[in-house]
Amino acid sequence: MFCVAPPELETKMNITKGGLVLFSANSNSSCMELSKKIAERLGVEMGKVQVYQEPNRETRVQIQESVRGKDVFIIQTVSKDVNTTIMELLIMVYACKTSCAKSIIGVIPYFPYSKQCKMRKRGSIVSKLLASMMCKAGLTHLITMDLHQKEIQGFFNIPVDNLRASPFLLQYIQEEIPDYRNAVIVAKSPASAKRAQSFAERLRLGIAVIHGEAQDAESDLVDGRHSPPMVRSVAAIHPSLEIPMLIPKEKPPITVVGDVGGRIAIIVDDIIDDVDSFLAAAETLKERGAYKIFVMATHGLLSSDAPRLIEESAIDEVVVTNTIPHEIQKLQCPKIKTVDISMILSEAIRRIHNGESMSYLFRNIGLDD
Amino acid sequence: MPNIKIFSGSSHQDLSQKITERLGLELGKVVTKKFSNQETCVEIGESVRGEDVYIVQSGCGEINDSLMELLIMINACKIASASRVTAVIPCFPYARQDKKDKSRAPMSAKLIANMLSIAGADHIITMDLHASQIQGFFDIPVDNLYAEPAVLKWIKENISDWRNCTIVSPDAGGAKRVTSIADHLNVDFALIHKERKKANEVDRMVLVGDVKERVAILVDDMADTCGTICYAADKLLSEGATRVYAILTHGIFSGPAIARINGACFEAVVVTNTIPQEDKMKQCSKIQVIDISMILAEAIRRTHNGESVSYLFSHVPL
Repeated sequence: MFCVAPPELETKMNITKGGLVLFSANSNSSCMELSKKIAERLGVEMGKVQVYQEPNRETRVQIQESVRGKDVFIIQTVSKDVNTTIMELLIMVYACKTSCAKSIIGVIPYFPYSKQCKMRKRGSIVSKLLASMMCKAGLTHLITMDLHQKEIQGFFNIPVDNLRASPFLLQYIQEEIPDYRNAVIVAKSPASAKRAQSFAERLRLGIAVIHGEAQDAESDLVDGRHSPPMVRSVAAIHPSLEIPMLIPKEKPPITVVGDVGGRIAIIVDDIIDDVDSFLAAAETLKERGAYKIFVMATHGLLSSDAPRLIEESAIDEVVVTNTIPHEIQKLQCPKIKTVDISMILSEAIRRIHNGESMSYLFRNIGLDD
Repeated sequence: MPNIKIFSGSSHQDLSQKITERLGLELGKVVTKKFSNQETCVEIGESVRGEDVYIVQSGCGEINDSLMELLIMINACKIASASRVTAVIPCFPYARQDKKDKSRAPMSAKLIANMLSIAGADHIITMDLHASQIQGFFDIPVDNLYAEPAVLKWIKENISDWRNCTIVSPDAGGAKRVTSIADHLNVDFALIHKERKKANEVDRMVLVGDVKERVAILVDDMADTCGTICYAADKLLSEGATRVYAILTHGIFSGPAIARINGACFEAVVVTNTIPQEDKMKQCSKIQVIDISMILAEAIRRTHNGESVSYLFSHVPL
């Protein structure tokens, strides 16, 4: 079984050396569910802390117990107000640092701004900026889950444990989709093909890739690389002549590479936020003969109108983990199902605190995952 | 504006020469040698005070020696009061070690980024990084140039029936790169995917997409030992492709690569000259080279003149 802890783990789960403090940095109470589950599994109480907004909207953090010489784990679940979430975390980390905590470990199941991880339109690599800010604030270690790009680990100057939700999602497929052997794993854009391959390989299924009209938000066509050169009257070195390469076709027709006819289509991705691309993919798959459509993602941001759109769509079920709270969205859309990943986070915390190896938590993980 | 000086490390003198010729400049005088204990020694043979210095060194051959030579050259220029030092690294060393893909794995690409910054590099110009996110390992500007415009130009000039081709990725990770080329050529794409049907069965390669009666063009960012692309080529022929080409930005060709290519069914294996290929071409007639010196030269010119480099992402300098 993919994610059931072996008996020796169950018994050791609550055995933690002294000096562990668990805080939640969220001022938003709906974001504290995951923290409570983790604390429960570890058999510890949540640390006493007050996080609130001043009338002028500044964030105030008051730590109400000693952290001197302790391993402090700060669990921060990203709320809708993402920038406030970040400030809450940074202020709490810095408060712990200046209060002489031995180590400060950030537990950030969904790393915000992770889609902004490369240069676009002369913009900022925001996830790098965020990593630098966290390190500067005093974070000594980070536990996160399914980073949008694994290379984001390299933006930090501290150890990063990038846990994976795939074993939990694979277990869900095997236990909750009765005829999953007649499924095909689908990447809704070429960028997700690697993840799809990883799932398909472990389930021993085929893959399909959708490509075309509904351009991926991360397409390199939008990265501002089509500006004309600056006109300069004098050049130190003579310019070369240039010829433009073939202009890309404006709207490549939607193509599905791979066969989905008469199959269950399982679309896999790391984040489901704005659902338009998923809906377009579902429509395409239905047209190509898929008789059931599931969407599996680690992080269910499900922004704005997503629940209503999913409810009215050809998608049969959307399965996400609880890295981000989405209870309200579930009330609006019964198609949304949740897989609990608190177990792996609590086990990671326990192992780090006890100085044990983390590699056990990656035992079913492929290189492409 | 300060004057420009271009120096070459020992890893790819030919490319450096082509770059300076295109810019109408001479290579700066530099002596790189090794002491008897194999330590690298660099002597810059002309003044660089207040100059805009570009050092061309690719990550190939004796890779650690090339890297140390580059770091020492950067540092030598920096402490000799160069106003700006730009490292031009056509093939970025250790680029595949860019993430912790298993427990206790080092992120060597991040280490290299730190080393370059500490040595004194103010700017990096490179080509087709294995992952664009490597730019974020640096706290200095990085221009990641693309070979794609030159590749498109080569396809249209050298494959007569390119309109009847399928662009193929040898693995799922390259699907995004492949679809970009397929879109520009207005053709289909396919990918090869590992599939394990039974727990104890060896991986088998499955083609996702159609290549029947078509020219198949395998595209990837680099080829090292060439096991994957040679296996993929056989697979494509067995699936009905009429001819198979491979186009790669960085032709590392280590170990059994040349023997594998010679024994494989490629019409041509096309690489750019980010890595020197003269010796490999003598051993294998299938290897052809796309010259990208003009892209690097134009990037240097634009950087020096404070012009936009982004124009190069969609244009090929003549």
